[in-house]
Amino acid sequence: MLIRLTGGEVVDPVNGATSKRDVWIRDGVLADAAKGEKPDEIHDVSGCIVMAGAIDIHSHIGGGNVNTARLLLPEHHRAHQPRPANTPLSNAGWSTFQTGTLYAQMGFTTVVEPAMPPYTALHTHLELADIPIIDKATLAILGNDDFTLSLLRNNKSTAMLDDYIAWVVGSTRALGVKVINAGAAAAFKENVRSFSLDDVVPEYGLSSRKIVKSLQASVNRLGIPHPLHVHANNLGIAGSADTAAATIAASEGVPMHLAHLQFYGYGTGGKRKFSSEAARLAEAVNGNPDVTIDIGQVMFGQTVTISSDVMRQFSAIGNANPKKTVIMDGDGNGGGGIVPYRYKQDYYGSLQWAVGLELFLLIDDPWRVFFTTDHPNGAPFTAYPELFELLMSSDARDAKSTELNATALGMTTLASVRREYTLEEIAIMTRAAPAKLLGLKDRGHLGTGAIADVAVYRKGKDIAKMFREAALVFKNGDLVVKNGKVTHYRFGKTLRLNPPPDKAMVKRMQAFHEERYGLSLDWFTFPDSAIHREDPFAEVPWNS
Amino acid sequence: MSVAWVGSQPVSLTDAIRNAAKLLGSSRCPVFTLDADVHGTRSAIALAERLGGAYDHAMGEVLAREVALFTDHGGMFTTPGEARRRSSLIVIVGDIPAAHHDLLQAWAGSQPDLGDRHKRSWFHIDGADTPRAATFARKLKATPLRAEGQSLGSVLGVLRAGLQNRATAVSVSNFDRFRKALAGALFPVFVFSGASGEAPGLVMLQGLIADLNKTGRASSVFLPADDDAWGTALTSLWMTGFPPRTGFSNSLPSYDPGRWDIQRMIRDKEADLHVWMSTRGGETPPKGGRIALISLSKTDAPTPGAKVTISVGKPGIDHDAVSYSSRIGTFRAVPAGKPSELPNISSIINRLAEALPGQRALPC
Repeated sequence: MLIRLTGGEVVDPVNGATSKRDVWIRDGVLADAAKGEKPDEIHDVSGCIVMAGAIDIHSHIGGGNVNTARLLLPEHHRAHQPRPANTPLSNAGWSTFQTGTLYAQMGFTTVVEPAMPPYTALHTHLELADIPIIDKATLAILGNDDFTLSLLRNNKSTAMLDDYIAWVVGSTRALGVKVINAGAAAAFKENVRSFSLDDVVPEYGLSSRKIVKSLQASVNRLGIPHPLHVHANNLGIAGSADTAAATIAASEGVPMHLAHLQFYGYGTGGKRKFSSEAARLAEAVNGNPDVTIDIGQVMFGQTVTISSDVMRQFSAIGNANPKKTVIMDGDGNGGGGIVPYRYKQDYYGSLQWAVGLELFLLIDDPWRVFFTTDHPNGAPFTAYPELFELLMSSDARDAKSTELNATALGMTTLASVRREYTLEEIAIMTRAAPAKLLGLKDRGHLGTGAIADVAVYRKGKDIAKMFREAALVFKNGDLVVKNGKVTHYRFGKTLRLNPPPDKAMVKRMQAFHEERYGLSLDWFTFPDSAIHREDPFAEVPWNS
Repeated sequence: MSVAWVGSQPVSLTDAIRNAAKLLGSSRCPVFTLDADVHGTRSAIALAERLGGAYDHAMGEVLAREVALFTDHGGMFTTPGEARRRSSLIVIVGDIPAAHHDLLQAWAGSQPDLGDRHKRSWFHIDGADTPRAATFARKLKATPLRAEGQSLGSVLGVLRAGLQNRATAVSVSNFDRFRKALAGALFPVFVFSGASGEAPGLVMLQGLIADLNKTGRASSVFLPADDDAWGTALTSLWMTGFPPRTGFSNSLPSYDPGRWDIQRMIRDKEADLHVWMSTRGGETPPKGGRIALISLSKTDAPTPGAKVTISVGKPGIDHDAVSYSSRIGTFRAVPAGKPSELPNISSIINRLAEALPGQRALPC
């Protein structure tokens, strides 16, 4: 099958300057212009922008906690219900099916679920497999489990830690490793209520810093393409900027990714002791080339916060809206909390909104700042089109600012920042840079040989509309969205690393599970066939 | 051996599929009673959506109670693995289904290796409305906490008040011992099920746990009344956004535990076709209501009253399965224990979908 997209403005910074040129797709892969060959399909995309399919590196789209949020909040689903469409279950509010549909309609073709507890990996993958159209990936959570913490406490060799992490990544079909408030979930079980970078987990005598540094080093040694994905301590509290700055400084020459930095952009200034430290954090990121971050932008309205940071979620119970929550002390890295929340245009909400935008606009390098709302924690991913508009138009920011709390905005630099993201910067931040960060060489650009994940947007003054309803979206060369509507389903792959397990580690794992849980290891592992989809996984190579 | 029947007559599987598809295609309001593993449930929900039907689980009554704890209230929970490893104080709440007795006995035979590592002690909160509960609790040497003539919900209320140093009109046996045990345990765990008592009692239990967490730590292990039913609830949630007792009116799913109570719909003749699934075997469709019945069940004989019966395999026995397991608090891949030729229910449902007008495959 040969497809030609003709007349469009191609925004593909990896492969050169923006220009009008044809894009060719041959059998699901981007190809050189076919001379003297008649295409099977020609799409006239004059007046449109052509980009690679977008990649979301941090969006909670599936797994135990997401599903518990659905269980806790059936009344919220009506608000998510779209107009009827023609594809199966695509009308089902906040379901896996709708997740794939809505992402595809915005031109997103790969999404990473960033928080998979190893023991519930099968559940996560069952959900991901029911998300249509897009490719998915997950990060395995480590850093609160007894096995990791015992290895570190007992000064076991780095090789043994590496073998364990490789086993976890392989057996859970993960693309990388995430640490969430390292050590805090373990400490919370012993009634510790606050936990900072240099605080110590009672049971193990280990600081959070030691856990983060050990995991970061191991991920780097193993050649896992995505650096350790760090959800730092003290999320959401006034003064958390100090923790974030200390965590950034702790990268110490080794790559590290900090998740949803907006939630750490708070100081203790002002009458309310809640102020913006975004400028300071942006400077810290700008000055440290080893660090990448995503934002976790807050947008206004009802959402639900979902996090494996159980200590933080427990402390947020009082802010639940509506007043019902689930707090789960899971096995090791599992568990977390579900706390519904409404971001209001009051002092606090306005400040959070502005902090996210400040970070977006003050961090200079679009290759190191990633476009997320930490769905659904800052806002549902369906708010992305409006967020693109805020980034690309200072007028849009000014207009929104007039609706917000002036005192809060006065505590920020936002009004003075006039930067507007260009389409090329958007393409870097949402395509090229995520592909590079995740080690996905086959996507994020429109060069020959890349998979044909292509998003075509009708150019217009209404930026949000442009990004909300892609004119065309191709997934692996298959036209799946036309005029902002999904035309048919296909099922993508879940991208994973597949390191060969160390035999001694497998034996150790067998003994550990039998001794500690009274169950054989096969209770916690699963074959690919358990997913019930044809070839549900695709392997991503390790860094050499 | 026959695996398909129209009425009481053995037929080929293809004929049975054709007959069942005809019934489905002409139904105005089909309802589905689910009892399958994850993949059977996925297919069944997709078919219900295709047909604009409604679905519930065979254990819908108790499942609805368990679901309501979350939809109406929430709570604090932990996993069986964490309870086993960390909790030196286990408090059984009311009646725990026999299917979970092995799990609790395994905890009784082990010692916590995390947290305070104290020798495990057991209590049992009992009510006048849970008469069978005490027998099993005695095997675990659990200290009873009960108040003469009071229901489980009342006992929980009295305990909660007592732990808050509030005066109560009735007293609970062994209360002081319980208070002391709570004070000495780093991570006490309350074990309950939807079968443990009525919804207000379960909410009271979560209130008690919330109180304990103001200054210390405590949590609960939820052991579903039926693992497969809970697995169906979780599957339904990710597929539709809603737990069972969901229907697809106007192509949109809606969750309404009253409106989509399948047994009520059958009784009130709101439904005109009942697709009854029972992969565990040995079950019969509930009595009451006389509407057309399609039976997809593990059986070697036609289901009485069914217009079409198709025999299907039992997940984890006749074929590989993915099922919820409360031993680990999540899904588990279960290899076939005794593989057979019986088809899995998912494949039958997919064949039914393909035999419907339009002949479209299901998305799962």
